[in-house]
Amino acid sequence: MEPDVSVETSCMIRIAVLPIGPIPPSHFRDYASTLARHHKIELSTISSFYTEHQKSPFSNQPWDSGSIRFKFMVGGSAASPWEDFQSNRKILAVIGICHCPSSPDLESVIEQFSNACKSYSSSLVQRCFAFCPGDSQLEDNSRKEGNLVLFPPADRQTQEFHLHTMMQDVAASLLMEFEKWVLRPDSGGTILKTPLDSQASLSSEEVIKAKKRRLGRAQKTIGDYCLLAGSPVDANAHYSTALELARLTGDYFWYAGALEGSVCALLVDRMGQKDPVLEDEVKYRYNSVILHYRKSFIQDNAQRVSPLSFELEATLKLARFLCRRELAKDVVELLTAAADGAKSLIDASDRLILYVEVARLFGTLGYHRKAAFFSRQVAQLYLQQENRLATISALQVLAMTTKAYRVQSRASIARSSLPNEIVSTHVDGGKTHHHSIVSHFESHWSTLQMVVLREILVSAVCSGDPLAAWSAAARLLRSYSPLITPPGQNNLASELANSADRLPSGTRCADPASPFIRLHSFPLYPSQMDIIKRNPAREDWWAGSGPSGPFIYTPFSKGEPNHSSKHELIWVANPCGFDLMVYSIYLSVHSGNFDSFPISVNLPTNSSKVITLSGIPTKMGPVTIPGCMVHCFGVITEHLFKDVDNLLLGAAQGLVLSDPFRCCGSAKLKNVSVPNISVVPSLPLLVSHVVGGDEAVILYEGEIRDVWISLANAGTVPVEQAHISLSGKNQESVLSVPYETLKSALPLKPSAEVTIPVTLKAWQLGPLVNSGEPPTDGSVVPPGRRLVVPLNICVLQGLSFVKARLLSMEIPAHIGENPPKLVNVENGSSEVTVFDSSESKTDRLVKIDPYRGSWGLRFLELELSNPTDVVFEINVSVKLEKSRNEDNSSVDCDAAEFGYPKTRIDRDNTARVLIPLEHFKLPVLDSSFFVKHTQSGTPGRSSSFSEKNAKAELNASIKNLISKIKVRWQSGRNSSGELNIKDAIQAALQTSVMDVLLPDPLTFGFKLAESSTGRAKLSSPKESVNQVQSPSSKGSVLAHDMTSMEVLVRNNTKEMIRMSLSITCRDVAGENCIEGKKATVLWSGVLSGVTVEVPPLEEIKHSFSLYFLVPGEYTLLAAAVIDDANDILRARARSSSSDEPIFCRGPPFHVRVNGTA
Amino acid sequence: MAGTACFMIVSRNDIPIYEAEVGSALKKEDAAQQHQFILHAALDIVQDLAWTTSAMFLKAIDRFNDLVVSVYVTAGHTRLMLLHDSRNDDGIKSFFQEVHELYIKILLNPLYLPGSRITSSHFDTKVRALARKYL
Repeated sequence: MEPDVSVETSCMIRIAVLPIGPIPPSHFRDYASTLARHHKIELSTISSFYTEHQKSPFSNQPWDSGSIRFKFMVGGSAASPWEDFQSNRKILAVIGICHCPSSPDLESVIEQFSNACKSYSSSLVQRCFAFCPGDSQLEDNSRKEGNLVLFPPADRQTQEFHLHTMMQDVAASLLMEFEKWVLRPDSGGTILKTPLDSQASLSSEEVIKAKKRRLGRAQKTIGDYCLLAGSPVDANAHYSTALELARLTGDYFWYAGALEGSVCALLVDRMGQKDPVLEDEVKYRYNSVILHYRKSFIQDNAQRVSPLSFELEATLKLARFLCRRELAKDVVELLTAAADGAKSLIDASDRLILYVEVARLFGTLGYHRKAAFFSRQVAQLYLQQENRLATISALQVLAMTTKAYRVQSRASIARSSLPNEIVSTHVDGGKTHHHSIVSHFESHWSTLQMVVLREILVSAVCSGDPLAAWSAAARLLRSYSPLITPPGQNNLASELANSADRLPSGTRCADPASPFIRLHSFPLYPSQMDIIKRNPAREDWWAGSGPSGPFIYTPFSKGEPNHSSKHELIWVANPCGFDLMVYSIYLSVHSGNFDSFPISVNLPTNSSKVITLSGIPTKMGPVTIPGCMVHCFGVITEHLFKDVDNLLLGAAQGLVLSDPFRCCGSAKLKNVSVPNISVVPSLPLLVSHVVGGDEAVILYEGEIRDVWISLANAGTVPVEQAHISLSGKNQESVLSVPYETLKSALPLKPSAEVTIPVTLKAWQLGPLVNSGEPPTDGSVVPPGRRLVVPLNICVLQGLSFVKARLLSMEIPAHIGENPPKLVNVENGSSEVTVFDSSESKTDRLVKIDPYRGSWGLRFLELELSNPTDVVFEINVSVKLEKSRNEDNSSVDCDAAEFGYPKTRIDRDNTARVLIPLEHFKLPVLDSSFFVKHTQSGTPGRSSSFSEKNAKAELNASIKNLISKIKVRWQSGRNSSGELNIKDAIQAALQTSVMDVLLPDPLTFGFKLAESSTGRAKLSSPKESVNQVQSPSSKGSVLAHDMTSMEVLVRNNTKEMIRMSLSITCRDVAGENCIEGKKATVLWSGVLSGVTVEVPPLEEIKHSFSLYFLVPGEYTLLAAAVIDDANDILRARARSSSSDEPIFCRGPPFHVRVNGTA
Repeated sequence: MAGTACFMIVSRNDIPIYEAEVGSALKKEDAAQQHQFILHAALDIVQDLAWTTSAMFLKAIDRFNDLVVSVYVTAGHTRLMLLHDSRNDDGIKSFFQEVHELYIKILLNPLYLPGSRITSSHFDTKVRALARKYL
């Protein structure tokens, strides 16, 4: 049998292509393939080479449309015993190929060629093509004529053209030879025999029979030549005659042969046509051919020779002719029948060819499993031959079956198109994508797969292909280890080791063996997480929440491998029954910008481990890590995470044999995918620490402290830009951030350091918070880096506020000589002179001026407790505004803080602090205050009221007042802070705000009349000063002297007030010493019931004189009953009924009466 | 009972979900493998043939040497495949029909995922009993 047979084989002229002389194989292949392109020569093109010597026997030669076909037998072939039966089996021409540069001596080439031709006795035309001759050879050859054809060096196109021309010459020569042969007088009488014809005993009957048959056989042979000459019509005519004769003589074998030839002639005649009628005709005739071949089977020489191979060949020819998807059923039947014939074939090589052809045809049909089945049969036949070349062939054939059995080597998958990958099978819940997963594993034909892999392994070992053996063993071990017994696994392991011994070190194989590797986790470093994609359009690009977009990784310093290397935790499992020594394992990076650090692992039987792999990125760009490179069993393989993930996915659905990780007792772990990593150029790295320890800063409530944060550039590039922003809770507690300090330190050179103070104020004690982080951003190039400096602040409870009260105190004032300084009360904006300039402010605030008394003085009492175990010192200050005084009288009342002496509060003690509130009264009692009466009053100083916005001003003023009071504390050397007691003060003030802030409708004051002389003469003027401020009126009063005094009554309202004024004087005992029987004071003027009218915002004086009989302390009191009080006064006095008299009383004034020496 | 017989159920995804050597002949591992190879190859023919007829029983569709492959295709395209060396179409047809019923019972099991391997020992026993009865 012959491979590659088809119906058209009968019309092809066989030409042996032989290498002549030494010729490099690659060149020979190249020349032969060039030659093979000229397998069909049009008859129309050879007419110039054709000379008609006699009248051509091919009368119906289609010169315009026909062609002559060649079949090149590269390397030649042995003569077939069936040459007579089918002329196309003859080698009709020999073409030698010579490569001139390697065969300089053309003489010897010619000689070798003629020797080579001798073994092809049937050849009619011989040519030797010499390629690439040198100049000398060209000259040399110019004298010779013959079979040697030199192809002068030329470009490929020219050379092809030359070759084509030469092939036309060969075709023409062959055509003429055929004509000669057909016209030969003895052509009809040649004895044509086949091995079927019995040779030993030619009985007379046989001879007669043979003579009868001779004619038919001759006609058939002529038909064959006609066919070869490209004249199907002539061929058909001869075949018809032959058929007739063969039928008559019962020569079935030749009948079938002639029929076969006629079908070929039919097809050549109808070249290119494929109509169903023709197809049916071919099918019908070929079935007849097959039938007749079968008929020609002769029992007696069945042992020696059988026409079976012709029958099978005919079957295959028909199958190939019909081999199309639509006719699959017919083809399958034919091929099954052909395969059935295999066991009857005598020759093993025939069987091989048969199976090869059957496999090929099934493959053409798209029946890959069938093709694989017969390929495997072929491989088994090869393996039976037990020689190395055959096992290599077996290996190659088996490699072709791996696709159908789904045990492909990954190398072959990579070469062909990658199979559709499993994507998102998880998402769709498994069942729908069932098939795609299955197609990936297909382990359920595991029996077949293991058999195939074992056969590949065996043939690879026998044929000495260690890599293929390694790959097969690796695939077996990896995919089917659960089905292989531990001894079997050990065998495979030793097989792997043996193969690796024969491989050069560092060999790579596409198929991974053990162990199984999956990604466990991908830890990130904080420094890597803080890199932010910089948005040039945004000023505050760092403000985005967290690292945005893909994860970016930065190598910043080779000197610090701890930071720059990227770690992945990898889980390795060895489900096999032998100890696995992994020589090295490292991350596989295809992007080429990553240096991985290999490590070696030893995995005991049925165990798994988690190992850490790391590496350093070397270049910018994305890094992809699809898996690991493993050097194990002497070969380097790549283990992809994806494969194992798929495997585990399959295992979860029960589609795969087993989960290697579960076998090894590992817990289930969810899938981890490798994040996208990209390497960015070096970024600066700021390292921060809080000076004085990175632990939490402990602060007391309200404490203000500077925290020093040191920023050092630990990277290799300078920090050129840096910003500080705050995030987190309690941001308001950061009082100041020294942006300027940081700015001025830029650019921060590598290893340079800058320390910046951040002022913090501890907030109220809540739950213990650690936050308040000013993140610092260092940045250079598009991606920036964010450094978060966490400030852990622990706030402890400090001084606590217990309560606040407003206290009033009556300390009588001394009556002075000079009238108290007055404020210009006429205009509404009463600027009140506060203090005299002659004394130091602190004194005044602390000490009470004896000539002033307690008028307008209130005390705010704060009770504070110290629950801590340290000592606090309290410092109360009232910040005073700058008074815009038009008078010179109050000189330097610039905004100032008046400090009080420090109060010390011991641990676990409470203390009270008094804050005098002075002169906070308003100058005018206005109805506007009562409109929104419930609100707090107005601060006392320097306010002008417009009635419209009085309320708002009131509120503002009270806030203003409160804000002026500051309670600072200090503890130890470096703790200090401020108590936040605004609310408490406000609460304390709220209740008595009216009293504190609103002036009485009338104010009373006493002073010694000016008229009194230097000696104290008791005068009794009675007019008052609004603002007592008479430290200078120090005139003393003498007993037994008439002292003139004045009482000053000021109307603080905007209405005229009429009243009846009374003045009383009491002695130390509080007895009225003006009236009564024991009166010790005489007086002149009116002291009681003085009816006066005070114009609005004016004051009046009422003079009187007192004569003290006894020296000592006296108290003067003024009081008035207001007539016709209006609503404002009533409201101020909080009188409920309208007819209730409104009574006003002034503060007491002391009079010290000295004796008269 | 047939000398050699190998019965196999192949799911619609071309995965064998059940296999049994039901012949009376001496079991050899090599032979069992060969049987599977033949059945595997026959799937190519079944896949075309199944659409050419409305009958479920496709009769003998393939052969290799003396072994014949008979196939029964269910509506869900699960293929019951029998490799045998005897010609007993009626028996084989009855065998297939009864196994089909058994298979449907397996499918009705809510815990059975269609397309997965049939592991029920009851099913196995019944199939072997049917093989003894009909083949």
